[in-house]
Amino acid sequence: MEEFLVWVVWVLAAAALLSSGIAVVLFSNPFFSALALIVNLASLAVLYLILAAEFVAAAQVLVYAGAIVVMFLFVIAYLGGRADAPWAGGPTLQSVAAIVAAGAIAVEVVVVVALKAGDRLANAAEIPATFGSPSEIGRLFLGPHLLAFEVTSIVLLVAAVGGVILGTAVPRERRG
Amino acid sequence: MAGPSVAAYLVVSVLLFATGAFGVLIRRSPLIILLALEIMLNAGNLALLAFSRHAGNGDGQIFALTVMVVAAAEAVVGLGLIVAVSRQRVELDVDRLTSLRG
Amino acid sequence: MIPAAWIALFAPLGGVLVITLLGQRISRFQAGLVASGSTLVSFVCSLIAFLALLDESPAERIHYSTLWTWLSAGDLQFGAEILVDPLSVFMMLVVSGVGFLILSYAVGYMHGDPEERRYHAYKALFVFSMLLLVQSGNLLLLLAGWGLVGLSSYLLINYWHIRATAVAAGKKAFVMNAIGDATFALALFLLIQRAGSLDFRVVFQEGVAEKSSTVAVLIALGLLGGAVAKSAQIPLHTWLPDAMEGPTPVSALIHAATMVTAGVYLIARTHVLFELAPDIQHLAGILGAITILVAGLIALVQTDIKRVIAYSTMSQIGYMFVAVGLGAYGAGLFHLMTHAFFKALLFMAAGIVIHALSDEQDIRRMGGLARRLPFTYRTFLVGALALAAVPPFAGFFSKDSILGSAANAGTLGWALWGVAAFGAFLTALYTFRLLFIVFGGELSAFAREHAPALSHHGEAAFSMLWPVGVLTILSAVGGFLQVPWGWALVDDWLHPVVESAEEATGLTLAFSVVATTALALAGIALAWRIWARADPLPSRLRRRYPWAARTLEEKFYFDAAYDRAFYEPASRSAALALQYVEQPLFLRSLGELGRGVRSLSGRLSAVQTGSVRSYALALGAGAAVIALVFLIVS
Repeated sequence: MEEFLVWVVWVLAAAALLSSGIAVVLFSNPFFSALALIVNLASLAVLYLILAAEFVAAAQVLVYAGAIVVMFLFVIAYLGGRADAPWAGGPTLQSVAAIVAAGAIAVEVVVVVALKAGDRLANAAEIPATFGSPSEIGRLFLGPHLLAFEVTSIVLLVAAVGGVILGTAVPRERRG
Repeated sequence: MAGPSVAAYLVVSVLLFATGAFGVLIRRSPLIILLALEIMLNAGNLALLAFSRHAGNGDGQIFALTVMVVAAAEAVVGLGLIVAVSRQRVELDVDRLTSLRG
Repeated sequence: MIPAAWIALFAPLGGVLVITLLGQRISRFQAGLVASGSTLVSFVCSLIAFLALLDESPAERIHYSTLWTWLSAGDLQFGAEILVDPLSVFMMLVVSGVGFLILSYAVGYMHGDPEERRYHAYKALFVFSMLLLVQSGNLLLLLAGWGLVGLSSYLLINYWHIRATAVAAGKKAFVMNAIGDATFALALFLLIQRAGSLDFRVVFQEGVAEKSSTVAVLIALGLLGGAVAKSAQIPLHTWLPDAMEGPTPVSALIHAATMVTAGVYLIARTHVLFELAPDIQHLAGILGAITILVAGLIALVQTDIKRVIAYSTMSQIGYMFVAVGLGAYGAGLFHLMTHAFFKALLFMAAGIVIHALSDEQDIRRMGGLARRLPFTYRTFLVGALALAAVPPFAGFFSKDSILGSAANAGTLGWALWGVAAFGAFLTALYTFRLLFIVFGGELSAFAREHAPALSHHGEAAFSMLWPVGVLTILSAVGGFLQVPWGWALVDDWLHPVVESAEEATGLTLAFSVVATTALALAGIALAWRIWARADPLPSRLRRRYPWAARTLEEKFYFDAAYDRAFYEPASRSAALALQYVEQPLFLRSLGELGRGVRSLSGRLSAVQTGSVRSYALALGAGAAVIALVFLIVS
């Protein structure tokens, strides 16, 4: 019974994921695209929970859906959400090639997985109850991956500084 | 593990990745391109977490968190660039932003 | 004695370094003092070495001294070694002694020249190079000194480097000397192959090569080539008259007293190798005899005072070559010494004349200078008498030493004797022609204008007059070192190193002495008749035999021939190479290369569309392709 429920949730989440992804890409109004992204991120969080990555799921909702998408919405609101029509002008070389390239990547990976993975992808490892919990994440971050932890903080700092600079740069016409 | 095996996650991940790539290649507005980029990053995260669960190794989750941080930073800088560009009264169309043409 | 010899060698080099490093911080006069002072130190040390050698018995008078191993290549070892023996000390005394006198003279002569310090430094460098040449104990170091001497000569000939003629003359001298250097080096290669070393002690063994074998002939020929070039003998002589472009003290020191005699020294030093190839040794004598004639004839029509003396030098060195060609090494070196005295004297006196006439060198504008420059006239007269070999002056004894040996040397000796005797006649003729034209007769218009009246400050600076005076005395009495029927000090002194051929004795010797003296006096008399009396004979001869006059004036067409044979083809092939090889192949291909790269990069830059989407597409397509490749490969 439990197994069946998990499968149902999984299928629903996966379907929502893929359709919202397509929606993000195809909507002409950026505002709607951002909203579709929220649905995308939420369904991803569900999948993460099924994968026993609770902390990551929480971070996903907090950081991605909570902060990044809000940032996007701010900018879209500021810029007036100009719409662009992606299909105007008929199929160009760019669009055809894009379909082919993206499709090729997808097909290749699926083929690889089907052909090569075989048995190795069948049996998942047993995991302790603390897998994916905040305590486990914390232990890993402050232990073996301390460097990555520190470096990401620097990256954030740099990004913040960059954002400020980009934001306060005075355009040339307005200089006195 | 509960639910489908890693293979299913991988297929979903790659389909999502292809969708994001398609979006990056096809759209002209930088905002949408950034959104599609976020989708691609998330697809990568999904694959990472699937494998992490499969192998029972928490490193994948650490990696995914780091990717998230980097995606956030990149979104900040990207949006800052878009704002700066729009301040220059240039149309937000990637095909018009070609002043780095060789 | 050995330390003295090393100090003698390095003192002038020290002088060069001092002048170079102190630069503007010492005055020009002080630079001249440093140069001549260092040469004086050399002379004093040479004297010390000489006196030390005198103390020893003749057999012991050979000392080698090595400072360090200069060159070491596989089995070959060459040391920086000097040799103190009678021959080298003899040359050291001549070089440093006469060098000191000339460098002191030059202090006065070059006074006021804007780059005087450079001059004195070069002069000191030359003295060092020449001492290195005569003092070296192996042939490699000798070659090093040989080359350095050539370099100093080049630097000093075009000392006034702003003059195009001087630059050309310097190049000519250097290139012709380089031909000699090349043959010299080839001979050294052969020697290394045969003997495995270039040390005198090894190379001068009799067994180095078989007598008259091809190897011996080649070695001697190579050495002779070097000697001929350095000593300006036919056929490598055309550089010497042009070298008169340098200042007069340079002509005195390098092109009269020392450098040009290096060839004679070389033959004397390597006499063992020449005696192994007697044909080549006789060739040296023959070349010397030809040079005596050719140079003497050309000197008869020269109008530049320095060029007359230059051709005279060529001619006198011909005498030395005749001597060493016949094995009379002592006589040859004796003549080298006396020639250094009176030739330097003649050049320096000529320098006083040139200075007095504001750098005029054309004798047609001179005349009657005996009245305005009496001291110069008298010293020039002594030098001329010595040159013409009039007894009892120095030249008489040395020239008769040579002729006496020639008379004793068989058929070839007598043939060379004939040429040399006629050469004595010519020598007297052209020497006194010069004397009478320049100093005799009425004061020419030019001279009246320019030569200062003999009132205030004498004929020239004292620094120029006293060396001339010393050389006059030496030219007068220097000959008494070797007197026929008496003693032969030079031969005896050089005996441990070179065995000189015997001179003739008795009636033969008397005949030789009387004949040559008579010829010399006849030459003087003829010169007096023609030129002291302004006889129209020369112009009459010129009208009757214009081709003869032209040949003499064109220096027997040697310059023209070399020009046609070497210079023209070289410059024409260079022009052809420029047009057909360098232009299309290198210059244009470089241009094409640049243009090609630019066009290629232009085409490549089409990839940089500036559009982000095309870049992203390229990325995506590339990723797909790589994934496919991985799929297939694995």
